[in-house]
Amino acid sequence: MDQPLAPVKPTPGRPSLPQRAALQRGLLLALWALVLLRSSADGRLDLLLRAAFHPLVALAGLLLLALALVQLRLGLIDAAAAAERASRRQGLVLLVTAALTMAVVAVPPAPSFADLAAQRPGDDTAQEDLSFVLPPAQRSLTDWVRLLRSQPDPDLFAGDPVRISGFVLPMAGGPPQIARLLVRCCLADAAPVGLPVRWPGPPPPPDQWLRLEGRMAVTSGADGRQLVVLPSRIERIARPARPLEP
Amino acid sequence: MNPARLATAWALFQGLLIEALPFLLIGVLISAAARWFAPGGQWLQRLPSHPVLGPLSGAALGFALPACECGNVPVARQLLVGGAPLGAALGFLFAAPVLNPIVLASTWAAFPNQPWLLLARPLGAVLVAVGLALLLRLVPEAELLQGDLLAERRLALPLSEVSLLERRGGVLGRGGLAGGGLSGGALTAAARPPRRPSLAELFRHGGQEFLNLALLLVLGCLLAALVQTFVPRTWLLTVGGAPTLSILALMLLALVVSVCSSVDAFLALSFAAQVTPGALLAFLLLGPVIDLKLVGLLGLLLRPRGLLLTIAGAGLLVLLIGQWINLWRL
Repeated sequence: MDQPLAPVKPTPGRPSLPQRAALQRGLLLALWALVLLRSSADGRLDLLLRAAFHPLVALAGLLLLALALVQLRLGLIDAAAAAERASRRQGLVLLVTAALTMAVVAVPPAPSFADLAAQRPGDDTAQEDLSFVLPPAQRSLTDWVRLLRSQPDPDLFAGDPVRISGFVLPMAGGPPQIARLLVRCCLADAAPVGLPVRWPGPPPPPDQWLRLEGRMAVTSGADGRQLVVLPSRIERIARPARPLEP
Repeated sequence: MNPARLATAWALFQGLLIEALPFLLIGVLISAAARWFAPGGQWLQRLPSHPVLGPLSGAALGFALPACECGNVPVARQLLVGGAPLGAALGFLFAAPVLNPIVLASTWAAFPNQPWLLLARPLGAVLVAVGLALLLRLVPEAELLQGDLLAERRLALPLSEVSLLERRGGVLGRGGLAGGGLSGGALTAAARPPRRPSLAELFRHGGQEFLNLALLLVLGCLLAALVQTFVPRTWLLTVGGAPTLSILALMLLALVVSVCSSVDAFLALSFAAQVTPGALLAFLLLGPVIDLKLVGLLGLLLRPRGLLLTIAGAGLLVLLIGQWINLWRL
């Protein structure tokens, strides 16, 4: 008759694998590495950070992964590291960090640009002189806004062809504009820039991404003469992969 | 609650966190390198302890150890643990996020046609750091610094400065942490040249430090994201033209926005035309010292009393500097 095996008791001074502090640390560092590497791979950085920071995030992820592997190896091989028992506090850190990092990985960001822009003052960066100006049909929305700042006379551009894309940004006391978010570091500093549009029918819902083709026209309103986009073709599009502009 | 708004807060949280984590890692790596290359921190103890020269020397260290404000918390902690005079460590903590080549270069890149700002920002940061260090000197170290930091610091300080009774765990000396045994008493531990930590100990310490700081960073980013989503920023910028109100509003904005000091100048550029020059400088001075994202991290160094004094002192100093600038420039 088979005798049931007695449970293996960990030798005093060397905790069981899950209780080893070095292994727990390795696991936690690997979770943080996962957050950074996953964010670098799944394209969400395009939605969150300016492109200049993307390599830094990936590099930090790789470094954290290397540090995690060192910790795991120490926890398995190094006698002193394997003997360190995880404290109850470290167990708590493990639980909270695991829940949080999993949430970040599993729930990608889906911000409402219109909501974000509604709470921010518009970008007011002065462009004193533009050294290079694209032909009208090739200008992006941001190019148009910058050009209008350096050459504020609307009559200079009346009749120019327009081909731009952006999201619908509701404006207080007026029809919605077509807008983009400018970002210098991360979403926290995003500032909207927009162009007024004379919508042919009822204006589209906020946050909808559109591609507009048409011409520039000049209107006279309460703020004086201003340039407005007269769309001849409006196409609904999905949010572009890189929606933020530098 | 509006689900679109919650989704925006979640995205802002991720943006702040993912942007700050690499800088936090850089800070932890610098701190680990300092432990490796200068294990006992003897050179730290030779930094001046003069009330003004101390903070100035700490501030100057920013040029050698360039980390923005989240990265410099672990470095400042390492300075304190190594036995650096309190004033020098505080000078580093508060001024280094501005007085480093990366931040000065980004300020210059954002405001190339405002030379006064390029001078006023580092000078103001030094003034704030010296002022805060002088203010925090009034509080005894034991009531200012967190308990575990104090215990580690007392192990490094020479016996002429710390009594044996204050040196908790001093019987084990430095060897206690890495299992050095009972062979050395406190006196011999202090007299013996400091031991370089083993690589395993360095990884253990650095890894744990990063994990603890990352959780505190999460807390700060969460708070900053929620406040940014639910308090319209336009409220703060409507008072742009009023001299004092604009300074106060931009100080509040710096607290809330919580972006890194290496990029805050570019953010300031977007509203520079709408606010007074004093308010602009106040934004660039206060953010690197204290913001919502930093509260948790600074709590690792300072007890609540020290933290409150820092917030109040920094607020007052920055307000005064902003007022002087408005008197001069408006």
